[in-house]
Amino acid sequence: MKKNSTKLLAACGIFCVLALLASAWYATAFNGGRLVGPMDLGSYSFTPKDLPMLLSIVLTCLYVLALFLLLLRRAGEARREAADTARRVNPKLGLLGLLGFLGFAGFWSYPARGDVTPFVFFLFFGFFGFFYEGRMSGTFMDERFRENAVRAQLTAYKITFRITLIALVVLCQGRLFGSLEHTLIAAIIVLSLTLALGIFLPEYLLYCYDHGSQAEEGGE
Amino acid sequence: MAEFECRLKTYRQLKGLTQEQLAALVGVRRETVMRLEKAQYNPSLKLAIDISRAVGAPIEEIFIFQ
Repeated sequence: MKKNSTKLLAACGIFCVLALLASAWYATAFNGGRLVGPMDLGSYSFTPKDLPMLLSIVLTCLYVLALFLLLLRRAGEARREAADTARRVNPKLGLLGLLGFLGFAGFWSYPARGDVTPFVFFLFFGFFGFFYEGRMSGTFMDERFRENAVRAQLTAYKITFRITLIALVVLCQGRLFGSLEHTLIAAIIVLSLTLALGIFLPEYLLYCYDHGSQAEEGGE
Repeated sequence: MAEFECRLKTYRQLKGLTQEQLAALVGVRRETVMRLEKAQYNPSLKLAIDISRAVGAPIEEIFIFQ
């Protein structure tokens, strides 16, 4: 958005607020607080003294509507601009992956309170993928990038589904440690970890495919 | 599988273009041009046509499948 239009927009906003304040003051001082304080709108009848308040309300509504439409348009433009580049992510967000260690709290919460939900925190290990996504952040997505992204995603899904299937087959063979509860807990852990892998692997593989043999590449 | 050979580097240098300039002309990253020159990437038909136009040489002389 240009500086001038931003200034104009801000000026319009200030004008609307001032108009609203002035008409509210006028209505309170000279119109018995009509349209300012609570009133029964069912029995409302128009008087010329309501005009300033009505006009400022309409003006403010129009301003808000225009602002909303402008924001929508701007968001559309930003999305179109971003369509050609990889999304911008700070690699430091990868630190969120450390939250995955909270999953180990399940080994305490289950015996103490019978609560298995902390095991789901293992999912957060997948956020380590932000380290790699951050490194590719803002990269121009040409056809090789898109091809690599699809290849990485497919490979990640294949690996994830294989692990899930093998784990389920093993777990469904019988009771782990002689207990059905432990089997189900193991299933939760395995599913959380494989989902985490499914989040992490596409980013990691994309990075590997893109930077594969860059060490041997020479620029000109 | 057909062996892929790419003579892009020769034609690019003949045209006096750097990898970066060629990449900008055909709308890809410089890394993609590098991979193409090393025959490590098989381009789409559109990219092949764009490159052929940019360096002014026929596709079949730049990209060779044996």
